[in-house]
Amino acid sequence: MLVRGWRAARYLLRAFATGLAAMVALPVLALCAMAIPLGGLGVPLPPHALEGVRRWAAWEHREACEYTGAERPPWPEAPPPTGWRRRLRHTLDDPATSRSVRWLLAHAPLGTLAGMVGLVAVLGVPSALGKLAVWWAMPEPLTFLGVPAHGWGVALGGGLAEIVAFAAVFLWAAPPLAGGYARLTARLLSPSEAELRADRLTERVEELSHTRAEALQAHGAELRRIERDLHDGAQAQLVTLAMRVGLAERVVTDDPDQAARLLREARGSAEDAMTELRDVIRTMYPPVLADRGLGGAVSALGSRCAVPTHVRVGELGTLPAAVEAAAYFGVAEALTNVTRHSGATSAEVRLERLGQTLRVGIHDNGTGGAEGADGTGINGIRRRVAALDGTISVSSPAGGPTVIEVELPCAS
Amino acid sequence: MRVLIVEDNAVLAEGVKLLLTTSGHEVVAVLGDAGELVESVDLHRPDLVIVDVRLPPTYREEGLRAAIRARRSRPDLAVLVFSQYVEAIYATELFTDGARGVGYLLKDRVARVEEFLDALNRVADGGTAVDPEVVRQLLTRKEDPLSRLTPREREVLALMAEGLGNGEIAQRLVVTEGAVHKHVGRIFTKLDLAAEDAGHRRVLAVLAHLGG
Repeated sequence: MLVRGWRAARYLLRAFATGLAAMVALPVLALCAMAIPLGGLGVPLPPHALEGVRRWAAWEHREACEYTGAERPPWPEAPPPTGWRRRLRHTLDDPATSRSVRWLLAHAPLGTLAGMVGLVAVLGVPSALGKLAVWWAMPEPLTFLGVPAHGWGVALGGGLAEIVAFAAVFLWAAPPLAGGYARLTARLLSPSEAELRADRLTERVEELSHTRAEALQAHGAELRRIERDLHDGAQAQLVTLAMRVGLAERVVTDDPDQAARLLREARGSAEDAMTELRDVIRTMYPPVLADRGLGGAVSALGSRCAVPTHVRVGELGTLPAAVEAAAYFGVAEALTNVTRHSGATSAEVRLERLGQTLRVGIHDNGTGGAEGADGTGINGIRRRVAALDGTISVSSPAGGPTVIEVELPCAS
Repeated sequence: MRVLIVEDNAVLAEGVKLLLTTSGHEVVAVLGDAGELVESVDLHRPDLVIVDVRLPPTYREEGLRAAIRARRSRPDLAVLVFSQYVEAIYATELFTDGARGVGYLLKDRVARVEEFLDALNRVADGGTAVDPEVVRQLLTRKEDPLSRLTPREREVLALMAEGLGNGEIAQRLVVTEGAVHKHVGRIFTKLDLAAEDAGHRRVLAVLAHLGG
């Protein structure tokens, strides 16, 4: 209880000091505001003064939130742009600035008043004790609770009453007052719910624009890769195949042996073309996904993996093709890592759908160290996931185990 | 015929080389890119250069640019631009300088060995070979003014645009050369083109008409 009283008194005393400072600061700030039209003369004061108020308010905000134990809402601290005018505009546009000034206006009277109670709480008991010690030596009678002390009876009774009263202020009045004032400060300085929502929305829009740009880029790169693969692979094979058939046709009567050799080579070209087409198709959208869905396709990956892999598939419902493909390639890359780098003896893949989210977990009991390592394919998974606005967390401490958790939104 | 091949895809380069050597031609060199095309032409003195459109390092139209460069340094060099896709716009670029001995063919054409070799010979002799696909693109683009032609005349026009002479056209369509000659005359009248009977200039006139 004493500790609580001290804390409250300390808080209120500081409010007293800053309240007095606010009374000085407000006229200065008003002068600065009047100086704004003189800005063209190069007076750098207004932006600095406002920024000073903001920093001060930010400090008070932190103290108030600390005092009440409430979580501190975000306090925007964007670096101001350079240039006097732009800097001023930036500061004026920021809602935190007007909040700071509003708070300063309220704090000058209220903080000082609340601070006086703090003063009483702290100084009351010592002053009563002091008066008790010296009252008899005073030429004029001292008063205890307004009653002049003419004898020991009044002095002792009044002094004791005064001590009790001031102790009560210290112990019971100061803490709620300090708490109330801290809450008021926090409320004045915290961004409103609407502002917070606007901030969150802005952040979200920026994030989505970013992932959208990435998705477009990834898509373009993918198209170019497919075009190159087809051009260099299957198409070239088909051309030489057709040429060999044409040549064979030409020589078949004169040189049946050469015709037979050309046809054999043509068959080889056809087989190569088919292999390459199959490979390209598999990297676009694996047919097994189309046939068996994500669950079946991932099970197939698991059974193909050199490290014994347990695949657990929950109820997935219908998923967008892009999500299926991202999840499939993500698991494929993760399992390739498990085989190549982890040294694991077993792995587990888990697929489950939680509402509008597909959750994919890949665990192994290997030696870890996959996080951020180069050429481990984690970055590939990261890109695929980011393109779909998903999240990925990789935990792979040295010594293992490696746990990759991917969440993909799949609202349809 | 001495042929220089510029083709980065080893499978294709090997295939074309096989086709040419089997048909009694000589492949003097195979280059993987067009960087030293001019030097190589000076060294080997080929009768014909077959050059792929897409070559390293950019894989865009290096070959096309190299072909145009090579012809600038040696205007009599016969060049066959060889590609896995054709765009009429490339053809117009290739043929606008009016030089002789230019071909632009899809790689697919190697399957028709005789026709391909005919086209090669035509280009080496200073003639023209335009891929039927290019002609098709040009014809579809120019649907309206061509509606005055009969189906037969359109066939003849397409073959003319490919660079074939009257004799070859007659062979393909199984008619007499005289009949082809009459078709050509009517086509030129209907399209308001000055009559050109010499093969290469005729192709240019037709291409210019279609491409413009």
